[in-house]
Amino acid sequence: MNVPENWLRDFVEIKISTEKLAHLLTMSGLEVESCAPIAPLFSGVVVGEILAVERHPNADKLTVCTVDTGRQKLKVVCGAPNVRAGMKAPLATVGTVLGKLEIRKSNLRGVDSEGMLCSARELGLSEDHSGLLELDAKPGQDVYKALKLDERVLTFKLTPNRADCLSVLGIAREVSALTGEKLKAPRIKSIPAKNKSVHPVKITDAEGCGRFAGRVIRGVNAAAPTPAWMRERLERAGQRSISALVDVTNYVMLEMGRPLHVYDQDKLRGAIDVRWGRKGEEVLLLNGQTVGVDAAVLCITDDSGPIGLAGIMGGESTKAETTTRNLFLESAFFFPDAIAGRARRYNFSSDASHRFERGVDFENNVPGIERATQLILEICGGEPGPSVDLVKRLPKRKPVRMRVARARKILGIPVEMKEVESVFRRLGFSYKKAKDNVTVNPPSFRFDLEIEEDLIEEVARVHGFDSIPAHPPRAAAKMHARPEARRSLHEVRERVAACDYQETINFAFVEPAWEADLAGEANPVRLLNPIASQASVMRTTLFGSLVANLRYNHARKLPRIRVFEVGRVYLRDAAAADGPLSVAGLRQPIRVAGAAFGPALDEQWGSAARAVDFFDVKADLEAICAPRRLRFEAAAHPALHPGRSARVLVDGSPAGWLGELHPRWQQKYELPQPATLFEMEAETLVDAPLPLPTQPSRFPPVVRDIALLVDAGVPAQAFLDAVQAEKPPIVRGVGMFDLYQGQSLPAGKKSLAFRVVMQDTERTLTDAEADSARDALVELWGRRFGATLRA
Amino acid sequence: MQDLENIVTRAAAEFAAASDPASLENAKAKFLGKSGELTALLKQLGSLAPEEKKSFGQSINTAKQQIEVALDSRRKDLEQKKLESRLSGEALDVTLPGRGRSRGGLHPISRTWQRIEEIFGSIGFDVADGPEIETDWYNFTALNNPENHPARSMQDTFYVDMKDSGGLPLLLRTHTSPMQVRYARMHVQQFRDKAAKCPPIKVIAPGRTYRVDSDATHSPMFHQVEGLWIDEDISFADLKGIYVDFLRRFFESDDLQVRFRPSYFPFTEPSAEIDLQFASGPLKGRWLELSGAGQVHPQVVRNFGLDPERHIGFAFGSGLERLTMLRYGIDDLRLFFDGDLRFLRQFS
Repeated sequence: MNVPENWLRDFVEIKISTEKLAHLLTMSGLEVESCAPIAPLFSGVVVGEILAVERHPNADKLTVCTVDTGRQKLKVVCGAPNVRAGMKAPLATVGTVLGKLEIRKSNLRGVDSEGMLCSARELGLSEDHSGLLELDAKPGQDVYKALKLDERVLTFKLTPNRADCLSVLGIAREVSALTGEKLKAPRIKSIPAKNKSVHPVKITDAEGCGRFAGRVIRGVNAAAPTPAWMRERLERAGQRSISALVDVTNYVMLEMGRPLHVYDQDKLRGAIDVRWGRKGEEVLLLNGQTVGVDAAVLCITDDSGPIGLAGIMGGESTKAETTTRNLFLESAFFFPDAIAGRARRYNFSSDASHRFERGVDFENNVPGIERATQLILEICGGEPGPSVDLVKRLPKRKPVRMRVARARKILGIPVEMKEVESVFRRLGFSYKKAKDNVTVNPPSFRFDLEIEEDLIEEVARVHGFDSIPAHPPRAAAKMHARPEARRSLHEVRERVAACDYQETINFAFVEPAWEADLAGEANPVRLLNPIASQASVMRTTLFGSLVANLRYNHARKLPRIRVFEVGRVYLRDAAAADGPLSVAGLRQPIRVAGAAFGPALDEQWGSAARAVDFFDVKADLEAICAPRRLRFEAAAHPALHPGRSARVLVDGSPAGWLGELHPRWQQKYELPQPATLFEMEAETLVDAPLPLPTQPSRFPPVVRDIALLVDAGVPAQAFLDAVQAEKPPIVRGVGMFDLYQGQSLPAGKKSLAFRVVMQDTERTLTDAEADSARDALVELWGRRFGATLRA
Repeated sequence: MQDLENIVTRAAAEFAAASDPASLENAKAKFLGKSGELTALLKQLGSLAPEEKKSFGQSINTAKQQIEVALDSRRKDLEQKKLESRLSGEALDVTLPGRGRSRGGLHPISRTWQRIEEIFGSIGFDVADGPEIETDWYNFTALNNPENHPARSMQDTFYVDMKDSGGLPLLLRTHTSPMQVRYARMHVQQFRDKAAKCPPIKVIAPGRTYRVDSDATHSPMFHQVEGLWIDEDISFADLKGIYVDFLRRFFESDDLQVRFRPSYFPFTEPSAEIDLQFASGPLKGRWLELSGAGQVHPQVVRNFGLDPERHIGFAFGSGLERLTMLRYGIDDLRLFFDGDLRFLRQFS
């Protein structure tokens, strides 16, 4: 909201500088965003009276004017279309600086010019450059002063609880409370009726409309121009001047916070009734929009049906126009609950709805009518009927008690009763004091004083947050440590980063195509109001975002890209119930995913260049998850190459995926080389069981290497699993260390080499024992997989 | 005698002249070998009178020892030379780059996130995180922000195509504040049946949040950290103490001003906006909005399952992007979510 300083001064004296005032208001909860003057400062521009206008001898579009500056008469060349003898306009005299332009004595096509006659735009007042700015002031007067351009406008960013400050008067009340200056409340005169005209009004739904004051004024000249002073104030407050009647209602709204509506009485059909809408009813609004209403929308109706949305906007059919002769003024109280959210439902907001949904003073209905009547009579003439005030139900203002001790406890400062009283007195509250508490009767313009804390807040903000000391609390010194067997996600991040992946953070909403392609997900959770269609579904995998990261960086010529992300995915799950950390119908687990693309290592001397592959990333994943042992089994995933993709298992349960991006997606997402991806459930990565160490044997180990020839289709894991199941007791460990596939082997065969470590805790093993254990393994593998020793 | 001295001198000279072990061995043979000069003199010993024999014998022995010392020393010299020459042949260009894999890094937001957890963890705050697709109740109603309330328009909300058990559409949480309610209710539940009194609630909840807002200074997804401390006597002055201390630790500077300005949030009362001002640096003298905070509203305390007459405390919510930008001097929010490694690697 914009409040011109001089308007504010109508209601309260201001003895401090505007900057100080702005600071004071900001620090009491009414944030002043700016307090800039109306126009940039200039001097040397005076009111000039144009005495004579002659044609320029050498230019058709120019004139030569004789201008009286009060002190002297100057010749000025002018190009404005509206220049005429007798008008007064701003004259920038020689030496004046306007923005970047310095006015000099000049010769324009052979005629000397001693200054410049100005438009509003040239003075920085508005964008109007259609002609000279017409002035109504004494020649010679300084224009900056004559137009009161030094006036500052305070722009407020108000919080929704302070509807009472949505008016100049409201701000003045606050200024008065903060500075101690007396509030000069407007003296509203009752204007006696000149005739008996009334318009019948009824309120069918009093839970929506509690009060409806109205007045008929007959015989107005609605075409009369809005006086300059009113136009100026409205414009400075950010309200465009429209017509006298509309301007008056806006003026009263800005001044007193009292929204009004003017009807053309001759267009009303029968009595006005305020009631809830009915399904099927429609109304054409003043903004040209036709809206359907229902039982949740409060309407102003007459015999023709709805003629306006109560507290939001009037209708086209009954609007006052410049031809209106007889009008009916509405000054109603609508309950905030009956208005809130309705305008939003229709996708607009109005000054009235903004106020009514926050709460409008329900005691200023009649004063508002009187003030508007006075202004209308002054500007448009006419004969008022009696003002009629229909009261059905008003908000209850329950007294609120504040215990001084409670204020002390909540604020943490030793507030005294004396200070509390002083704050309430300055705020103009009526209150009753008891021994250790105060009971306030909240005023009708405040809708935010319902509980004790509301009053404590008033005390705190008027007292000043600045004067509350900052002292950290005393608390029991209780030790605090994360369970050792659980890593934090930060430690997980550090582990992934240690494997040379750079963390990215990507939007949780992604392109539907990513989900379809990389998760095979045709029905991800959809946003009803996405910012863009490329960000319209909630991801069920982090793969899409990571592939996008690869693509983005590849496009920027990075040869080697390794990224990871830690974030939630959003999975529909009909079985999921509401819980302390869950929402029914959904699972939202955190995942840790990575992608590697380009060379396995940064190009470097002494290492042959090699593209990153499945097994590089597998090793990364094993390092990240250690000490948990991972198992990998071939399985298909929509994002991954069907022959190069593995489900990752932890303790036998699926915990993630590892694989090469499917060549189809590699092509579609414009990556020139394969990328390898992994995605793991974060829950399995934070789990890091405590070590269970055993004593190392004191006896030396015996090592035997076994090279086998097997069918190419048997996975290496099968050999290790078979050993786990039936290994001789002295075998400590078996590991695969070499793979050979080549021309020298029979077709369809491969060679695997295993190293077997044997050891006993009680004695040194003999060669014979070791050989016999080795033979047992060879026999086992031969029996299970048809493996033979490789010659 | 003269001869002996002469022999020792010549031996030393010949040893010194030997430039490798083989010529040294040859030189040795000339003096100490079977037909060496010293050996020849020893052979003459038998023909001398006993008196002479003894003194001459001693002289020869001395000379032999001297020659052996010279030989040994020369042997060591040659070994040393050989080693030196090998080592100098093995010398590396130590300025060549190191090999192998380098290291990735964390996102700047994660750095801030982690640091905030450390700072608050140092005085015993727990860390919580929860769902991002939230119910209307946790995101709004439980926080004293009923349907249609104008305060809801302060935060433009993303809705999804699913409804909660009460039929209201699910939404993307607009702030981390729902975690206040979730955590506090879990906490209260945990201690409900225990005889001991409910211990204080001290928690921060960092995480992703969402609002329908996308321009140079707003991202539709961003991060907040929520803080909550509830006990029997946690006041607004305590909030000021904790938050000011936090900022000083976070920015590692006492050279900053913090101001608390009255504001409005449905879930706190009194409510404050927290503004920060640096006394030096490029942002010197400007008030920067950082956080919303306040004493938890009694209705919200009731929604925790506690009695506001007995339990009071504060809550705050701060933007991690803002803190990160101020900390590292980043002036474009969009850099955080572009995934541009040229930017992100600087935080490795």
